[in-house]
Amino acid sequence: MQKALIALFKVVPLELIYCVMALVVPFYMLFNHKGYTAMYHFFRQRMGKGVLSAVLHVYLNHFAFGQVVLDRFATYAGVRFKLTVDGNENYLHLNEGEKGFLMLSSHVGNYEQAGYVLKSDHKTFNALVYNGESPIVMNGRNRQFADSNIHMIPVQSDMSHLFLINKALDDGNIVSMPADRCLGSAKSATCQFFGAEAKFPLGPFATAVQKEVPALAVMVMKEGSRSYRAYVRPLVCDASLQPRQQMAALAQSFASTLEETVRHYPHQWYNYYEFWDGTGV
Amino acid sequence: MEQLIQKLKQEIIEVLNLEDIKPDDIDANAPLFGTEGLGLDSIDALELIVLMEKNYGIRLQDPNQGKEIFKSISVMADYISKNRTK
Repeated sequence: MQKALIALFKVVPLELIYCVMALVVPFYMLFNHKGYTAMYHFFRQRMGKGVLSAVLHVYLNHFAFGQVVLDRFATYAGVRFKLTVDGNENYLHLNEGEKGFLMLSSHVGNYEQAGYVLKSDHKTFNALVYNGESPIVMNGRNRQFADSNIHMIPVQSDMSHLFLINKALDDGNIVSMPADRCLGSAKSATCQFFGAEAKFPLGPFATAVQKEVPALAVMVMKEGSRSYRAYVRPLVCDASLQPRQQMAALAQSFASTLEETVRHYPHQWYNYYEFWDGTGV
Repeated sequence: MEQLIQKLKQEIIEVLNLEDIKPDDIDANAPLFGTEGLGLDSIDALELIVLMEKNYGIRLQDPNQGKEIFKSISVMADYISKNRTK
């Protein structure tokens, strides 16, 4: 299926495939009941939409998700998107320094596109990834980034990924990890998010504090059929606080940045579970 | 060695913020991770890696080392005594 998609993008225009997908989305929504319900609750309770409006927004959300999935395979097939960066100076400032730093992602937009625009000629980019991804996705990614300095660090049950993270940061390189879902540790930080408490994984923020490295929130949002805008924002906390308080402050800084972005692009929020009851974290 | 084990217990309690635990509550031979013993997880593991580096000058960079070194506080203390640079 995934191989066929990549082959398809070499002969069929992306926009035509989007149109076909628009017809398929309602059927997908019918069978993805859990995800549909969670997203409906997001639009009703967090975005304050009415019943019919929320249903429409759920459709648009699923359509937008389908677009970024297709864009990922289109990229593997050689299609290129226009990428602009908002806050590039935050990245350049850290990239020019000797110290390693963290780039924290989330399940919004299409983070993978960041690899094509936030480049470094002297630091390696080490992405912490879920070990259960399909070989096609991993191979596609590896092919795309074969000539670059981008490396994948799969999360392992023996915690060996921690040593690779530690080494990468010690060597002054970039480590990227998702900061809205748990990978590894189940410890979390409770943050104010869309007017209610939500749990965020503690790991990324603990890493920043423990290793004393700066952290950036990076979100790459789809704007047009062939364009993306990357938002790069520094996470801040009071350095005089106790380490545990610093972790909590960084988590809140991330949650606030994420909320600001999702309010601008509500259809690109892709956490298809009840994010606010804590069971999915 | 016993002195180092006690010091290590105290340091682990401090960095991991284990407020309700005293050094004597910790069995030096019990597993640090998993359901038995201290029940630490990956966030704590990174804290231990940083502790080894800051307090004892030991840079742990080989992914295969961790499983062995972090087996228990006794094993950690033994490794520190043989490899410390400060």
